[in-house]
Amino acid sequence: MISLEGVSKSFQQKLAVDDVSFSLEKGKILGLLGPNGAGKTTLIRMMNRILFPDKGNIFFDGQLLNQKHLQHIGYLPEERGLYKTMTVWEHVKLIGQLRGMSKVDIAQNYNYWAEKFGIETWKNKRIEELSKGMAQKIQFICTVIHQPEVLILDEPFSGFDPVNIELVQNEIKTMRTNGKTILLSSHNMKSVEELCDNVVLINQSKKVLEGNINTIRSERGDNIYAVRFQGNMIAFVNALWAGFELVGKEEVTGNTFIAYVKMRNESSFNDLLNTLMNEVKLEGAWKVMTSMQEIFIQEVAEK
Amino acid sequence: MESDDFDARNIYSRSSGKMKNTWIIVLRELKERIKKTSFWGLALVGPIVLMLLVFLLFHFGESKKERWKILIADPAMVMDNRILLGDAGAFEFDFINDYLDLDDFLKGKRYQAYDGFLEVNEKVLSNKRALFFYKEKPSLKIQTRLHYLLEKRLEEVYVSELTKISLQQYREIKQPINLGFRNIYDPENQKSDVNSWVGWFFGAIVLFYIFIFGMAILRSITVEKSNRIVEVLLATVQPKQLMLGKIIGIGLSALIQLFIWVLIISIGMYIFKEQFFQTLNDQALAGNLQSGSGVKEVFGFTNLLEYNQFVELVFQWINFPVLLSFASLFLVLGYLFYGTFFAGLGAMTGTESDGQQYVILIIAILFFALLSGYMTIIYADSPMVYWLQYIPFTSPIVCMVKISQGYASTEIYQLILSILILIISIFIGLIFAGKQYQRGILRFGHRLKFVDFFRR
Repeated sequence: MISLEGVSKSFQQKLAVDDVSFSLEKGKILGLLGPNGAGKTTLIRMMNRILFPDKGNIFFDGQLLNQKHLQHIGYLPEERGLYKTMTVWEHVKLIGQLRGMSKVDIAQNYNYWAEKFGIETWKNKRIEELSKGMAQKIQFICTVIHQPEVLILDEPFSGFDPVNIELVQNEIKTMRTNGKTILLSSHNMKSVEELCDNVVLINQSKKVLEGNINTIRSERGDNIYAVRFQGNMIAFVNALWAGFELVGKEEVTGNTFIAYVKMRNESSFNDLLNTLMNEVKLEGAWKVMTSMQEIFIQEVAEK
Repeated sequence: MESDDFDARNIYSRSSGKMKNTWIIVLRELKERIKKTSFWGLALVGPIVLMLLVFLLFHFGESKKERWKILIADPAMVMDNRILLGDAGAFEFDFINDYLDLDDFLKGKRYQAYDGFLEVNEKVLSNKRALFFYKEKPSLKIQTRLHYLLEKRLEEVYVSELTKISLQQYREIKQPINLGFRNIYDPENQKSDVNSWVGWFFGAIVLFYIFIFGMAILRSITVEKSNRIVEVLLATVQPKQLMLGKIIGIGLSALIQLFIWVLIISIGMYIFKEQFFQTLNDQALAGNLQSGSGVKEVFGFTNLLEYNQFVELVFQWINFPVLLSFASLFLVLGYLFYGTFFAGLGAMTGTESDGQQYVILIIAILFFALLSGYMTIIYADSPMVYWLQYIPFTSPIVCMVKISQGYASTEIYQLILSILILIISIFIGLIFAGKQYQRGILRFGHRLKFVDFFRR
């Protein structure tokens, strides 16, 4: 839907984005990750034509990104604000009109979202009367009011309580189901793991990691499997031979445990199951995925 | 959310052009201002307070000298050394039947006790003109009374010596006498060309509006930057559209306010004229006064006020249609020109306090413009003034002064050229400020340095 090809941008001799390329696939959620100052916001601003690349190109549906395409993009910036003296409706109407909508369409969409968020009575409230969380909801509505094909959300959960985070996450998932393309920039790795199909990690202006989030998580780490079983823990340990190493355990109930086993040498998952099958009663086994938090730290802090 | 209620494609098909977005910003800025009570407070109460202040200034701001010792220089003995003494408490008159030189009056010991001298020459009966040279400017009340006493005496002389009609009949057909009041230290009245000051006043009002509403542009931009709404707007509107929309929107609110001021002041002036100065064109005033009819008490004055210079200036000398038309034109052009600087500055600032510091630069330029207007009054024909009228920073006020002084038919090109240069400068300013705006609008929290204005 949107693709960046060799995009670079500098500010007064400081390189903010260095030769970055990636694509947002239609109907998928891409997580744009990176530490503060890595260049994420600069990239996002270029995708919204607020800034322009010094080098490289950005395409929208195969065409060079132009002003006309912005009507198909919904942008929720990290540093967001509202006109405090305007009412909720005036504000939503202003943003909708700037996106080329008619008043009727704006009212129709606003009513839909107001009902979703349970804010039907806020229409004539002045923005300055709203709490931070309430204002966040209005900002989210302003972002999606024109039913954009592409959503660019920079830290969309900041300022929300857990209930509203859940609400927004569900809406994002629904939009993906409905074929919307979404770019999600967040430091909340749990949300990234839960929502994103693909991730791009930016560090020191460069792209350092890109791919399907599950592939990345399973490829990274020390090839550890979790095994849930009933039986004796000593018997479990004794059953393991040189090809495996017990790296952790959890007691679920009196004789039910989850053991974390690291593969050694050429040992496979099948070998592990064969080894344990006659010693304990297996309830389940799965590959332990490396968390995005760990991957992030590995890529950013340790390099 | 993908309900079947509406089709997003329809929404996009109604996409608007750049102008539409600019217009949306214009309307937002305009609504933002006109819904404030302070806007209407300034628009409605402002002109009323201004009129009241002007009246009080003229009422109380004058000499409080209670007794005037006046020497009447009447070489032709037109007045026959006589004058009415209706106001015996206020005046003491002496006559000298000779020509009196200003220097002699100022330096001669025998004249030191006099507060001024009234020059009545032999032509006074035909040209209806006399001059009063003062050391300290008399109050409107004293001017009016002196004017009245002189006129009454000359009417008597005129009727008895030159006509066969009665004094009453004469007063019904007479023309009023022109008594000019001159500062004895500036007898040629060079430094107080009233018309020029009127032009300067209009120019100063233009600069005042430019500053007030220029500051509104600056504040509006810094507020948008500090509350971060600007990034949301920039995702839909180009920076130049946003800047232009803001300048035009705030400018329209300035024009609305100015229009209300002009309307209220016009109505106020009409009421003043009808209620207090209604006999401005009434040649039979003196007769009415003598018979005691038609005299109204207004703030302690009588209708004799009609004769004072300020009232004459306001109601008879100022060409309001011309001056207001050009003031409006220069307000619009000057505001657009200076507005680009305020907008550029607002976009470059990192904090609100940053903006305050750099506003001093713009104030200095506006102050220089005011000074240029003053120089135009003093040195109307100097080469410096000739060039100042073309400089867009100073042309709004310099041209207003020159308009009030009157352009010769061969000089009209100067006015047209000034306006053209100002219009071209607006476009150059918009390009320059547009670049600054684009570059600076997303920078927050930094400390603005002077060199930042010139960085690419």
